Amino acid sequence: MRRPEHVLAALVLIAGATLGARALWPTKVPDDLKLPPLDERAVFDPAQLREAQHFETFLHWNSLASMVVVLIVLGLYAWRGHRLARESAAGRIGTGMLLGMLGLGILWITQIPFGLVELWWARRYGAADDVGYLEWLLTYWLSLGGEFGFICLALVIVMGFAQVLRGRWWVAGAPAFVALYVLFSYTYPWLVPADRPMRDPALLSAAREFAREQGTEPIPVRVEEVSAYTDSPNAFAAGMDSSRKVFIWDTLLDGRFADDEVRMVLAHEIAHHSREHIWKGVGWYAIFAVPGTFLIALATRRRGSLREAQAVPVALFVFVALSMAAQPLFNVLGRRMESEADWVALETTEDPDGALHLFVHFTEFALADPSPPAWASALFDTHPSMLDRIRMAEAWRARSKGHSHP
Amino acid sequence: MNDRPVRLIVDDDRRRSRLTVFFRLFLAIPHFVWLGLWTFALVFTATAQWFVTVARARPADPLQSFHVAYIRYATHVWAYVALAANPFPGFLGGPGYPIDVELDAAEQQPRLTAAFRFLLALPALFFLALLNGGGSGGSFGGSFAISGGVVLTAAFLGWFACLARGEMPHGLRNVAAYGLRYTAETYAYLLLVTQTYPTTDPTLPASAGPTPEHPVALEVNDDRRRSRLTTFFRLFLTVPHMVWLLLWGIAVVFAVIGQWFFALATGRPAAPLHRFLAAYIRYQTHVGAFLFMVANPFPGFTGQPGYPIDVYIEPPNRQSRWVTFFRFFLGLPAFILNGALNALLLACGIGGWFAALAMGRMPEGLRNAGAYVLRYNAQVNAYGTLVTGRYPFSGPPTLEPVETTWAEPLPAPVDAPA
Repeated sequence: MRRPEHVLAALVLIAGATLGARALWPTKVPDDLKLPPLDERAVFDPAQLREAQHFETFLHWNSLASMVVVLIVLGLYAWRGHRLARESAAGRIGTGMLLGMLGLGILWITQIPFGLVELWWARRYGAADDVGYLEWLLTYWLSLGGEFGFICLALVIVMGFAQVLRGRWWVAGAPAFVALYVLFSYTYPWLVPADRPMRDPALLSAAREFAREQGTEPIPVRVEEVSAYTDSPNAFAAGMDSSRKVFIWDTLLDGRFADDEVRMVLAHEIAHHSREHIWKGVGWYAIFAVPGTFLIALATRRRGSLREAQAVPVALFVFVALSMAAQPLFNVLGRRMESEADWVALETTEDPDGALHLFVHFTEFALADPSPPAWASALFDTHPSMLDRIRMAEAWRARSKGHSHP
Repeated sequence: MNDRPVRLIVDDDRRRSRLTVFFRLFLAIPHFVWLGLWTFALVFTATAQWFVTVARARPADPLQSFHVAYIRYATHVWAYVALAANPFPGFLGGPGYPIDVELDAAEQQPRLTAAFRFLLALPALFFLALLNGGGSGGSFGGSFAISGGVVLTAAFLGWFACLARGEMPHGLRNVAAYGLRYTAETYAYLLLVTQTYPTTDPTLPASAGPTPEHPVALEVNDDRRRSRLTTFFRLFLTVPHMVWLLLWGIAVVFAVIGQWFFALATGRPAAPLHRFLAAYIRYQTHVGAFLFMVANPFPGFTGQPGYPIDVYIEPPNRQSRWVTFFRFFLGLPAFILNGALNALLLACGIGGWFAALAMGRMPEGLRNAGAYVLRYNAQVNAYGTLVTGRYPFSGPPTLEPVETTWAEPLPAPVDAPA
C-alpha cells in the first residue's frame, strides 16, 4: 500500500472507532444524576472500615509490584527470549508457539511469590481459610495448561495470517480475535464448572418478573457451587442470545444475605443482559483490537514480523504492556456498565434499602474497601466502589421522591 | 554393558518343553519355597552386612558370597518362571544355567552411600516394580485396571506362544532377560554387593541374539542435553501437540479403514495413505520422545524426518491378505505388551524429568529405555495401521557381536638360527 492509502485506511478506522464508541458509550444512568455526598463512617462500622482498608491496601501494592515484575520479566524476555528458539525442532509456527508458552511459563514462575503472599494475606484475614498453599499451587499449576492452550491458539491464528500477509497480518488477525471473543462469550456458560439450576421458586419467579420489566426474555438462573473454596459472595451474567444465563454463587444463598439483597443481585445481573453489556463488551474489544494488533505488528517488524518465531517474545511483551496501559480505560468502561446495571436494578426492584444492605454486606464479607484510593481504583477496579454504589442507591431514592440533591 | 559389575549371560536356544511350560508355575513351587527361606535369611544377613559395611567401609566376605549366590539363584528361578529359560534350575545358584548373571563383588564401599543405601535404591525399586510387575491395581473412570508389569506381561504372552510353537519368541525372551538383569543389578546394589547404581539401559549382550531387521526402525541422534526451562514446563508444552495428535488421530481412523479395504483388495497398501500414516507414526514418536524426556527440542507438527529421535519407515510393500484381514486380532498381544511398556516409558519420563532438571542432561540408561519403548510403540502402531505387515519386535536392542580378527600369520623366519 502507498502512503495516501495508509492515511485513508487509518482515517476510516479512526472514524469507525469513533462512531462505534459513540454508539456504545450511552447508558440508562441519567446524565444529570448527581451522587449525594456520603460519609462512609456513617454507613460502615469504623472497625470494619479500617480492616477492609488495611486488607485491600496491601493487596493493591502487591498487585502493583507484580505488574512491575511482569513488565520487567517480559521486557527481558523480549530482549533475549528469541535465543530459546534453539530448543525447537519445529517450523516457524511451532517454534513461535514454544516461545509463547515459555514466555508465559517464565511469567508464571515469577508470579508465584505474589500469589502466595496474597493467599497468606487473605488467610490472615480469614478470607481464604479453606485454601491451602499446596492446593493453591496445584490449581495455579493446572491453570498454566489452559494458558498454554490459549496462547498456542492465538499464535496459530496470528502467525498463520503472517505467513500469508506478512506485516499486515493484523488486518485479518483483529477480526479473527473478535470472532474468537464472540465464540468464547457465547460458549462460556457451558464452561462454568459445578453449576446447578436455581431451585428457589420465589427467586425464580422474581427473575422472570425482572426480565419482563426490563423488556427481555426470561433468563435461566443457575447456582455455581464455590463454597468449598471461598466464602466470598459473587454473581455474574454470561452468554449471548440463546446461551444467556445468570450465575449466582452458592455463597450468596447460604443465609448471610436477605432475600431482598439476593433479588437486587438478580436484577443487576439480568440488567447486564437486558442492556446487552456482553455484546457491548465485544464492541469495545473490537475497537481496541484493531489498533492493538496494529501496534504489535509495528513493534515486531524489526524481528521479521510475526511471520518469524523470533518476534514472539516481543509480541508478548507489547501485548501485555498494551493490555496494562489500556486497563484503566477498560476499567472505566466496566464501571460504567456496572453503574448502569445498578441503576436498572434499582428501577426494577424499586428497593434502595435492599441495595444499601447488599453493598454494606458485600463490604463486610468480601473485605472490600468501600472507597479505595483513586490510583488503585483506576488500575484495578472493574466495579464502582461500594460507597459510590450506595450513593447511587440514595440518588435513586431521592429522584423517586421527586427531588434530587444539589 | 560388559564393563558393569553385574553381567547377564544368555546361553538359551529358546526351545521350550510344552509340558513343563504348561505346568511351569506349579513346577516352580519348590523353588518358591526355597527362595522364600533364602529371602527370610536374607533379612538378617543383609542387616548384618549393612552394619559391617557402614562400620568398616568394606562388606564381610562370607555374607557377600551368600548374597551373590542368592542373586544368581533368584535370577535362575525367575528366568524359569518368566519362560526366559527352559531347564529346571538347581537349588544352589550354581553356574551354568542358560540365563545367568556374573557379579564382581566390590571390596570397598563408601560409608555414606552404604548408610543410605535403601533410600538411594528407592527409585530403582520403583522402576523394578514397573518392569517386573507387582500387580498394581486402581480404579480410573469407573473401570478397574491392573498393570502387570513388562516382564509378567511378556511371560503371560510367552506362555501361549511356547505352548503353540514349542519355542519362546525372541523378543519376549529378551524382554524377560532385560528384567532379570535389572533385577539382579538392583539386588546387588541393595545388598551392598556392588556400589554401582543399576542402569535402566535395556541393551542386552550380543549373546541374546541380534535385533532382527524391521521396516520400522528407530534412529537416535540425541546428545542427552536437556534445557531445564523446557524440561520444567514439559507437560504443558505438549498440550498443543496433544490437541493436534487428537485431531490428526481422527483422520487416521478413517485412513486406516480405507487402507484396510485397499490392502485387502490389492494385497499392498495405497502409497498416499501409507505416507499419511507413516507421518503420523513419526509425529507420535516425536511427541512421545519430547514428552517423556527422550529428546530435547520442541517437535514440529508435521512428522517430518529429522527429529533427534526419529523413525525410519520403509516404503509400502506387499502384505498378506490373511494377515491384513485378521490384523486387529493378530495385533492384540503386541497391543497388550505395548500397554505394559508404556508404564515403563512414563517412569522414564518422570525419572528423567527430575534428573534433567538437576543435571541439565538425561541419564543414558533412562534415555535408552525410553527410546526402546518408543521404537516398540512405533512398530506396534505401524502394524496396527497397516503401514507394515511385519510383526513388531518386542525385544530390547542387543550389542553388536565383537568380531574377532585374526592377526596375519607371522612370516616364517628366513634364516633359522642354527
